[in-house]
Amino acid sequence: MAELFIELFSEEIPPKLQIDARQKIKQMIEERLQKKEIKYSLSKSFSTPKRLVFYIEGLSKTIELKTKALKGPKINAPQLAIDGFMKSNNLKKKDIHKKIIDKGEFYFANTRTKTIDTLEELQLIIPEVLKNYSWKKSMKWSDHDLKWGRPLKSIIALFNNKVINFNFFHLQSSNLMLIDEMSTIKPKNVSNFKMYLQVLKSQKIILDQENRKEIVVKKMNDICNSRDLKNSFNTKLIEEVVNLVEKPSIIIGKFDETYLKIPQEILIITMQQHQRYFPLFNNNNKLINLFLFVSNLPDLKGYIKTGNQRVIEARLSDAKFFWEKNKKQNLVKQVSKLKNLHFFNKLGTFYDRTQRLRKLASLIADQLNISKEKTEITASICKADLVSDLVGEYPELQGTMGKYFAIEQGFEEDVSSAISDHYLPTSINSELPKKPLGVAVALIDKIDMLVGFFGINEKPTSSKDPFALRRAGIGLLRIITENKISIILKDLINYSILTYKEQNVKFLNESVNKDILIFLTERYKNLLKEKKIKKDIIEAVFASNIGNDFLILHKKCLIINKNISKSVCKNIIGTYKRASNILDLESKRTKEEIYGQPESFLFKKDEEKDLYSKINEIRQYFSSTKKNESYEETLKILAEAKNITDNFFDNVIVNDENLNIRKNRLELLQMFCKTYNNFADFSKIEGV
Amino acid sequence: MPKKINIIKKKGKPSPVNFQDTILNLQKFWGDYGCVVLQPYDIEVGAGTFHPATTLRTLGPKPWKAAYVQPSRRPTDGRYGKNPNRLQHYYQFQVIIKPSPDEIKKVFLKSLSKIGINHTEHDIRFIEDDWESPTLGAAGLGWEVWCDGMEITQFTYFQQMTGVECKPISVELTYGLERICMFTQGKNNVFDLAWNNSGVKYKDIFLQAEQEYSAYNFEFANTKNLLKIFEIAENECKALLEKKLSLPAYDQCLKASHVFNLLDARGVVGVAQRTEYISRIRDLAKGSGKIWIEKQI
Repeated sequence: MAELFIELFSEEIPPKLQIDARQKIKQMIEERLQKKEIKYSLSKSFSTPKRLVFYIEGLSKTIELKTKALKGPKINAPQLAIDGFMKSNNLKKKDIHKKIIDKGEFYFANTRTKTIDTLEELQLIIPEVLKNYSWKKSMKWSDHDLKWGRPLKSIIALFNNKVINFNFFHLQSSNLMLIDEMSTIKPKNVSNFKMYLQVLKSQKIILDQENRKEIVVKKMNDICNSRDLKNSFNTKLIEEVVNLVEKPSIIIGKFDETYLKIPQEILIITMQQHQRYFPLFNNNNKLINLFLFVSNLPDLKGYIKTGNQRVIEARLSDAKFFWEKNKKQNLVKQVSKLKNLHFFNKLGTFYDRTQRLRKLASLIADQLNISKEKTEITASICKADLVSDLVGEYPELQGTMGKYFAIEQGFEEDVSSAISDHYLPTSINSELPKKPLGVAVALIDKIDMLVGFFGINEKPTSSKDPFALRRAGIGLLRIITENKISIILKDLINYSILTYKEQNVKFLNESVNKDILIFLTERYKNLLKEKKIKKDIIEAVFASNIGNDFLILHKKCLIINKNISKSVCKNIIGTYKRASNILDLESKRTKEEIYGQPESFLFKKDEEKDLYSKINEIRQYFSSTKKNESYEETLKILAEAKNITDNFFDNVIVNDENLNIRKNRLELLQMFCKTYNNFADFSKIEGV
Repeated sequence: MPKKINIIKKKGKPSPVNFQDTILNLQKFWGDYGCVVLQPYDIEVGAGTFHPATTLRTLGPKPWKAAYVQPSRRPTDGRYGKNPNRLQHYYQFQVIIKPSPDEIKKVFLKSLSKIGINHTEHDIRFIEDDWESPTLGAAGLGWEVWCDGMEITQFTYFQQMTGVECKPISVELTYGLERICMFTQGKNNVFDLAWNNSGVKYKDIFLQAEQEYSAYNFEFANTKNLLKIFEIAENECKALLEKKLSLPAYDQCLKASHVFNLLDARGVVGVAQRTEYISRIRDLAKGSGKIWIEKQI
């Protein structure tokens, strides 16, 4: 048994590219080995910024290919086919024989046993894998043709202590190990993985990323535990930092306490995103003026700590300067500066946008029965922080900064938090606004966006959604359904269109309202499907008479989905389908229009009268309950009609000889279905 | 390999390198390495990359090695001399080498030791930073080099310049001189940097300039005139391109680019217009690059 060991030494490869290459190249080598029936017992890959290492253990030095029967063409096949069979398998006439099987008489041949030298195979496999791996982002350098994540400097390729010789673009594989560009140590010859690891160890380089991660996490935990601090760290950052170093060393740094007065989001972003530091929190989850960072070498003279502290202080002093300046700038006065900030080419500036939002605010406040004044104020100032220096520096803090400015300037708490909440949800599954004011402004913000872009025909396509309208639409739907918000979307959209027209924005699309509702409906159907609600239930509910109240649609889907296999639903669906099947059949046959308006004087049997009065009872129920409809109750009521309808179907023959009576009975059934359609078109539900 | 060079430092505890010696040391180092040591370009530019010694010389097949200091103007970064880290005019030290040498990282790290940064004592890191200049139609892959958490140099392998794929590939090193000196001299405020060893500080030379230019950039630059100048430069560039004069044409492209930066600082460029201006400048850069290449073969 032998080992395969490959090291690809390069200039620093960024973490994401490194991780992808580490995983995919490993996989590709494994696949190629399996294809060649080369077995192995263990396969691993490692990386540091400069090294990608693949190590496979338990490979046999040679592979015995056993004899196999090859099936050829039928014996009476054209000579061309037989020659082709021989040629492609490198056979001579004496090698093939005839054999009868189920399907007739065929030519067969036995392959010869063959011994393959694994080393020879690897000489083909390895360069092929390297050539076929496609980087997510790659580059060229010098005058070479090779494209790699970052300049590739050397390739070590060893099998069974021998070099796997191959050329890869301008490089030639070898057993020569480069330690570091700056190292005074000369390149070393290594003959196997163990020796390679020893050399790394002598340089204190930790090859195994998992090992580095353990070291980093343990050290950070120890520090936090000993100081009584919260020890939870951003996992993405750990992943990144671990792949930015070969020799991790954890250093604790400090910044001046006065910076803790700046909103902590700024401090956290500065530390995490800009500097790759780990901010620290005490056990009350409050940010403190200490942080951790991972250096690539031990800080023997304390320079590294001092340097990093100075960097963070400089950045924070910049932020503090802006914070002091911006928090004093009156948000209401800042609004006029939005005139210089373009929203989108044909849709005016952010100033225009807040003017529209203010108008929509008044309508939605009515619909939600919340303070009109507060909603209008929030809508007017919710974008004012976009012209602040801080949002210029930290765009991801839009809204958050506005909230802090508002608090500083004495706006009420709910207005302040609505400024940041109106951007929610920021991604498909993220947090929603919860408080009424935030909900209201979040909704109109999204409506204004959808209307504007649909109006100028910048609708999202299946592949492109540059203005994140899909996200806006899903956000809107999630707020409505998850927060149980009842609004009249159609009115809001119409009013929004009007606000654009008042600003003389030219719309190219005349059916904005319809298009948006279709768009939202499609999005919403997908959302429900993701929640494992059956497609036919969704279709049934969406075919109901209810229009575009997504909250009601949502509730109905959930309740039917919940009861679908219970008798209550089975009764309704069974009855409904009995009626609708007859209607389908008859209307197909006679092509007559049936409106659902039976005449009571044409009723001949009690069962007809009973059904008629039951339907009227249900209608009355629908018109009386409306707003406070309990869907559980509705289902119950719809199911209760089963006895009466059963009686009808058992005792009344719809197809009466008298055409008027026949027609009237169809009208009665249509009336029944139409009434049930108030809830859902149950004929669309499969099975049952 | 570069020869040993004389570093200005005393025995014993090394005194930090002052600003002018930092430049001199880098020039000496890269000059010894074989670079042509050039002078700054005499037109306002936003970065050393805009110097034709980089933009145009990285195009075409001919090898090229150059190093120079370049005053860089970023009108929007002006802070009236009140911010300790930001300037609307600062210095970059630029090294450009085509084709990129295999040992470039080693040479670069060595160069740091000549200006007071010993890589065995400091955490030098190469952090992904893929660079793009929409105005120049340029893109490259590389890193920002961090020294103890501070970005001190941009290290870029140009892949594209003026819209043309580079072949061979050049490597560009851009040292941020003020930042480096703040680091080596241990100063928290750029204006406190020692310019020389005779007591002249950065503020003695540049504070008034920062104050006056900030006022000009943000308040008093006449936008009507600037718009006209932009048009003039653009037309001039196009006319020169027709005459196949790449260098004079490129000068006009640089002028248009700087005027655009001023307009931007004055806050009169909307988002949509911005894209439009940038694409107009890029067209000028592309035109200049195309004619430059034609004359290289």
